[in-house]
Amino acid sequence: MTRMGRSTLAGILALAVAAAAGCSRTGGTGGQAGPGAGAGSIRQIGSTTMLALAEKWRGGFNASHPDVSIAVSGGGSGTGIKALISGTAEIADSSRDVKAEEMKQAEAAGMKLVSHLVARDGMAVIVNPANPLREIPLAVLSDVYVGKTRDWGQAGAPGLGAIQIASRDSASGTYEMFRETVVTLGGRDKSRDYAPEALKQTSNEAVLALVGQTKNAIGYVGLGYVNDTVKVVAIIPERGGAAVAPSAETVSSGGYPLARSLYCVTNGEPTGAVKTYLDWIKGAEGQAIVRELGFVPVGAP
Amino acid sequence: MDQGRRRSWEWVVERLIKAAGVFAIVFVVLIFAFLLWDALPIFRERPLRELLAGGRWSPTAEPPQFGMLPLLLGSLYVTAGALLLAVPLGLATAVFIADVAPPRLQEVLKPTVDLLAAIPSVVFGFLGLLLVGPWLARWLNLPVAQFAALGSLMLALMAIPTIVSVSEDAIRAVPRSLRDNSLALGATHWQTISRVVVPAARSGIVAAVLLGLGRAIGETMTVLMVTGNAAVIPRGLQGFLRPVETMTATIAAEMGETAYRTSHYHALFAIGLILFVVTFLTNTLADLALGRAGRAAR
Repeated sequence: MTRMGRSTLAGILALAVAAAAGCSRTGGTGGQAGPGAGAGSIRQIGSTTMLALAEKWRGGFNASHPDVSIAVSGGGSGTGIKALISGTAEIADSSRDVKAEEMKQAEAAGMKLVSHLVARDGMAVIVNPANPLREIPLAVLSDVYVGKTRDWGQAGAPGLGAIQIASRDSASGTYEMFRETVVTLGGRDKSRDYAPEALKQTSNEAVLALVGQTKNAIGYVGLGYVNDTVKVVAIIPERGGAAVAPSAETVSSGGYPLARSLYCVTNGEPTGAVKTYLDWIKGAEGQAIVRELGFVPVGAP
Repeated sequence: MDQGRRRSWEWVVERLIKAAGVFAIVFVVLIFAFLLWDALPIFRERPLRELLAGGRWSPTAEPPQFGMLPLLLGSLYVTAGALLLAVPLGLATAVFIADVAPPRLQEVLKPTVDLLAAIPSVVFGFLGLLLVGPWLARWLNLPVAQFAALGSLMLALMAIPTIVSVSEDAIRAVPRSLRDNSLALGATHWQTISRVVVPAARSGIVAAVLLGLGRAIGETMTVLMVTGNAAVIPRGLQGFLRPVETMTATIAAEMGETAYRTSHYHALFAIGLILFVVTFLTNTLADLALGRAGRAAR
């Protein structure tokens, strides 16, 4: 090797060692949020349902607060909470309640998880536009999803054949909430679980695409994702009565049975940039974005 | 630089390079140990038979079910299908490039096949999900546009460049004298290829197939998007045309949500361990086969 080549090799090796040393994790475990929070840098991770919302919130917030840098990503509610606990996020977006085990893990890491209600959402049950079904009782929907009811004839749409169930995957908060409210009949029968034949899709859009393409499919998506490639089915609540279709009004009033809350979770009460951001989200501008995207605002609009 | 400085400098560089090589081995051993450490608890908690032969994978149910059979069979179906498509096509392409195509065509074909290998797996998933799947489902009149054979098809596209590349090297390595002798004895070009060259290159071709197998079985993103992720046990040939769930997709889909150090967590690591062992074995066998090919050529 020439003298020049040897020095180059040495330089590259030195750089590699330095880079490896520099890649140590800066986010601490336990204690306060990562070093970015006060200094105007926020990492917001979690629910894919809330992803579009989070992106618009960031855009809106940065218009009036350009000094705060916000990094938004998805991965599912569970991923977000995990990131919060391990110190790699300041805000976890969650489309479900924080689980007891997650609270315990947070305590073990010296954290206290605080959930801030930022929007309400309905889970819309959708079918293919060719499906004549208009409404379905909650109990029948539950039986469809656990695999007890397999034919459309028993579910209110004779002639369509076998039912193809579309679901989200288990990293999704939507999956969890649907399981909680529908599959386990409001948590009363926890031994019930999704049928193995359920096609697990990785996002709301994927569920939409599948149901839109497949004549005998049924699925669930966040209300804000519904478009005219699919048909929404009204739900007859367990207590009986008229079928309720999902909308901003029925979700706010509590009439729609498949409603859920969307949260931004933080470690302890927020301070600094995180507090400003969350207050903004809960304020008029943030909630206007909530309404714009098809979710349901909380408190005074 | 004087002699003394040159020698000590060499000493430093040699040590650094040796460290890099050792580091690679250490890294692999550590991964194995890490997988084993986090997978063992589930093997202690549940009988092996229930894990490997149990037919229901419902980790979120109460009580949780960790039967991996649907996942093992899902991976098996998708991988077997992929090889069934990729090996004949790949081998034929390799033979064509190495022995039949005129030099200018060779120069075009080789980089084109290599280009297939450069396409990210998520792109294959995307194409499968939105284009190939619905088209195939319409053509074959299938209930749903996500099924095992679709995964096999997309995986075959990913495995072909590997198979072509390694097979082609093996075929080229067959000594010219073997070909010339065969032709001199009156054999046709095709007879020479099929009865002399390919058998002579057999170790290298076996290696190519094994490497393609390793690629296919470890693929995650594509199968996650196109196979439907329904953890049902595929049955018979029909099973290819129905949704399945592979081991890799299960880990990718469920790891994000699983709480640390729960049974579900350990069960997912067990799947990871199985994948590691299978991939390790196929790569080792491929290496042995390549070693034999090398010796045969000499």
